[in-house]
Amino acid sequence: MSTYVETEPTQNLEAFKGVKKVPYEEYFTSGHRTCEGCESAQFMRLLAKAAGPRTIVTGATGCMYVANTSYYSTPWGIPWMHTQLGAAGSSALGTAAALRALMRKGVFKKEPINVIAFCGDGGGADMGLAAISAALTQADYNLLIVLYDNESYANTGIQVSSTSPFGANSTFSTPGKLKRIMHNRWKKNVAGLMIAGHPTCNYVATVSTSYALQAMNAVRRALTIGGPTFIHCLNPCPKGWDFDPAAALELGNLAVNTGIWPLYEVEKGELKLYGKTREIAEGRFKRLPVADYLLKQGRFAHFTEEDLAYFQSQVDDMWNNWLVPGVIPLRKKAEAANPAAK
Amino acid sequence: MATLTAPPVKETRKFEEQEALITGSEAIAVACKLANVDVVTAYPIRPYDTVMNYISQLVADGELDCEFIVAEGEHSQFEIAKHASACGARVFCGSSGVGWMYAMEALTVTPALRIPMVALVGNRTLDDPGAFGVEHNDALSVRDLGWMLVWVDNAQEALDTALIAYRVAEDRRMFVPLAISCDGAFLTHSQSLVKVPAAEHVKKFLPRYDRGDLLLHPDNVISVAPQANEDWVMEIRRQNYEVTERACDVIREVYAEFERIFGRTYGNPFFEEYRTEDADVVLLGMGTLSTPVKVTIDKLRQQGKKVGFVRLRWFRPFAGKEIAKALERFQAIGVIERDLSLGSPDLSGVVATELRSAMYTHASTRPPVLDFLCGLGGREVTVEDVERITDLTFQAANGRPQPLTQWIGLRG
Amino acid sequence: MGQLFAVEVIGRGIFQDTLAKNITRGIVLAAHNEGKLGISFGRYGDSPERNGIPAKKFAIVATDEQTMQLGMAHYQPRQVDLSIVLDDTLCKGIESWAWDGVHAINEAVKRNGTLIVISTQGQDALLKVIHRRNEPYKLGILPGVASFSGLWVYKDDHTDVRILGAIAKALPELFGWDSVEKYILAKVKNGTVKAQSARKTYERLTTSEVPAGKGNPEPLPHFELLKWQDMRLGTSVKGQPQGGPIEDPVTHKLGGYKPVRNDKFMKYTTRSQRPVVNFETCTKCTLCWLNCPDGSFDVMPDGTYDADLNGCCGCGICEAVCPVKDCITMVTEAAFTENDSQWLRFKKNKDEYLGWLNTTIQKAEKERSHGLRYRGQYAEQVPKALEIAKNG
Repeated sequence: MSTYVETEPTQNLEAFKGVKKVPYEEYFTSGHRTCEGCESAQFMRLLAKAAGPRTIVTGATGCMYVANTSYYSTPWGIPWMHTQLGAAGSSALGTAAALRALMRKGVFKKEPINVIAFCGDGGGADMGLAAISAALTQADYNLLIVLYDNESYANTGIQVSSTSPFGANSTFSTPGKLKRIMHNRWKKNVAGLMIAGHPTCNYVATVSTSYALQAMNAVRRALTIGGPTFIHCLNPCPKGWDFDPAAALELGNLAVNTGIWPLYEVEKGELKLYGKTREIAEGRFKRLPVADYLLKQGRFAHFTEEDLAYFQSQVDDMWNNWLVPGVIPLRKKAEAANPAAK
Repeated sequence: MATLTAPPVKETRKFEEQEALITGSEAIAVACKLANVDVVTAYPIRPYDTVMNYISQLVADGELDCEFIVAEGEHSQFEIAKHASACGARVFCGSSGVGWMYAMEALTVTPALRIPMVALVGNRTLDDPGAFGVEHNDALSVRDLGWMLVWVDNAQEALDTALIAYRVAEDRRMFVPLAISCDGAFLTHSQSLVKVPAAEHVKKFLPRYDRGDLLLHPDNVISVAPQANEDWVMEIRRQNYEVTERACDVIREVYAEFERIFGRTYGNPFFEEYRTEDADVVLLGMGTLSTPVKVTIDKLRQQGKKVGFVRLRWFRPFAGKEIAKALERFQAIGVIERDLSLGSPDLSGVVATELRSAMYTHASTRPPVLDFLCGLGGREVTVEDVERITDLTFQAANGRPQPLTQWIGLRG
Repeated sequence: MGQLFAVEVIGRGIFQDTLAKNITRGIVLAAHNEGKLGISFGRYGDSPERNGIPAKKFAIVATDEQTMQLGMAHYQPRQVDLSIVLDDTLCKGIESWAWDGVHAINEAVKRNGTLIVISTQGQDALLKVIHRRNEPYKLGILPGVASFSGLWVYKDDHTDVRILGAIAKALPELFGWDSVEKYILAKVKNGTVKAQSARKTYERLTTSEVPAGKGNPEPLPHFELLKWQDMRLGTSVKGQPQGGPIEDPVTHKLGGYKPVRNDKFMKYTTRSQRPVVNFETCTKCTLCWLNCPDGSFDVMPDGTYDADLNGCCGCGICEAVCPVKDCITMVTEAAFTENDSQWLRFKKNKDEYLGWLNTTIQKAEKERSHGLRYRGQYAEQVPKALEIAKNG
């Protein structure tokens, strides 16, 4: 019986069972021109470690291109190629298509080679959204697209994108005499969009570099499961968010513990929540107030009590009223709203 | 018009030195099959996309083994192809008009990174104002970026040039993308008898695309295109400039090799000359306007008017010295221009402007080079237009100066 | 030909971005009060700035338009009259954002020009790290702790105006005190109080001669830029190879892992503090190594982790994530004059190392000036800074 979709074999990358099992090899070494405490760079390091040497990475324009790789040197110990701002999806597809054709024709030795394309929130949630979406429908190709989200167009000096939080300061959204809040948009739910829109995509996950092991294992799962896959990582950014770089992991924890950034994966339609997110959903952990997180960052220093209350109300809404909290914003009817999960 | 029903496909199955009655776009699809391309990316826009109809059928019928990906936009279409080529795949894609413009970012970086590609541009008027007919500005828009550009005007030439294109583009001394321009009308409307080369001959002519130490693969750990800065960009550009210094020689070499293997000669690769031997004035243009022009020349010759025609094939590289030397003996030159270059010197189009530059440097004479904006937006270049153009060119030759740029076939 | 002045302000990227901008703008506007023309700008190659990575900003001032043109002929002045260093840890050398090796802090200071450093150290300590040169120059120290803020919230601790006061003292031909005071009173928030801080510096700044040849003799990492014929095609570069195990100096057994590091951009000049590691109390939990965004930790044969001090940029995440008290302590970079391996020293003489460690981590700043921790923090920190300012 022929099937309509034919994928090639993938590498069988088992989850690292604990931090002590993480291999020493660095496929993304030091010497990149990123900020002190750059969690986006940390994510590059983790995903390279997780993927291993039989991998090809393409990287869309952004901090992880401009800051990381500077001609005539590079921190990458695996093949890497720059691609355009909106081309993460298309570069992944092109790479996967070449490998597939050339292996089938006997030009290359047949082996599973990981294909990873990365983009920032600018390149992923904004400009390159269509290309990522198209790639996720191409079920024949094994590829992983990762979106490293530092919640701004960071490389151009911090401007708001579709994933910038409500009210954040940026060079395009500075609080002024007339308008305190120039960026009144709510953060786009990119992972939810990918889940809802691509029924043949086998794996979508949200991760955080504050939970390094889980982030690496999500990468390994995505590369093993086959077909096109997507991971969205939240990356605290000392420059754009304005905080002491040493607090990077603490802020990642707070993003999760306030319920702002839920950690979950959807594997072939099955949802699994992780860590504190699961505890919050099950009512075993009370979400911290968003102010605990927001007021540790200079980009929210202009927030009034009213702004904080609004932000809190939106996060409360997400946890109290969404049918699948944090994942899909279909709201339950008001009378059936769940009062328990506050 | 050729359709996707079974008969045309069955005809092209008989490949060994066969003759096939096919359109220009089908000829190019046949070339892709003969070249055993690895990855093809498609996105619909008229009139180039008929080539993708044929390729899709070839793939479905098992005649062409390649990855066939329908992209969600031209930018992605060309990015997919670019990255596939960077990973060692022989690629084919194409577009028309504003579709080509939508891909512009991808088109810019492909030559800069020395990535070979063969693309079909079905020349189409840029929207807005929209029209499906021919104008050359789409393909010409990449002329400064390192793309090779060639114009063909019949299906045989399209097939042959496609094979030549792969050989030129994938030559290690080149490693550049190459766009074959075809006017829309002949792509979809005119079927002609085309000699289809034998597969084993094509294998001799086209070795496997070998990216060597530039291949992106785990066995060759490189980083391609890290961010450069003002300390390095000039040197990188100089490397790419070197390609243009030797492009004409490589092209000559490849055409000679083509002739040797397939027994078909094009003479001078860069331009075709029609009845120029004893001409007093000469017309110059690119693409399928050559048909009405040649017909008109034959008619005028019968009237005793000594006029000839130069059909430019390669626009990039622009064989300026050769063209100037070929044209310097004529008393006047009339360029039939199917593009606009608004605000240019003397408001002339792209072809005339570049031609004048070549003449200024290399010609030992200074015949008037007149520019005739004609056939824009898909309007026909008629025999009457060509007669008028010839007449005005003769006037200039005979000492009655003409405006450097004129509109022909315009109402008003 | 009139008079031309060039001033460069060298600071830590982003942390001192606003501060440096305020200074260069202040220079131009103060000089303008004396009728001079000027421009202020950041070095294009440094943009976009990154936290900690050294960056330069400039002010070019001239007495007339024609001389101004001369000053603008080179995008970045090759020689400056005055160089202001906003963080004394920058004195060890600066590896800028634009790729060209490590440069001496005083490289651009012209003969008999002036280098002013904000520091709590004395001249002797600074001249141990500031590289020697073939020409004499003057060194002035502005007592103070490096002022760090971030992009959106500025630590208004008077550093900017104090520098302007210092400039008026060090280079009166550029502008005098009256011009600075006029600028501050007219254009700066809380001008009256700020003018007092500036006045203190103006009165108390002293500079001393540094003769040719005096300073740090160590050579600086340097790179030849390649000719186009020798570069790889297609904007490609070779990737990084894999590293390998390390030899234990005592047992001579191989173990652990040291990655190959990028030798074209090391990043150590980005740091203003470094992790001091106690290999005895280390529980080998892996967290410092795992969470270092720069991959700066080597895995040692005994299972502990050593920060490669050529690659470490001093972010402090390792200290934050280490579960053992005082096992990793961030200590100001000013306390060190080399990048040697701490683990090797520990292995060769444990007691000596631990003794050194215990005295060294006392130098860790309790209240670190390394960016924002919470809203309102700077307002709390400013009074202390002003105390120092009162003393000039």
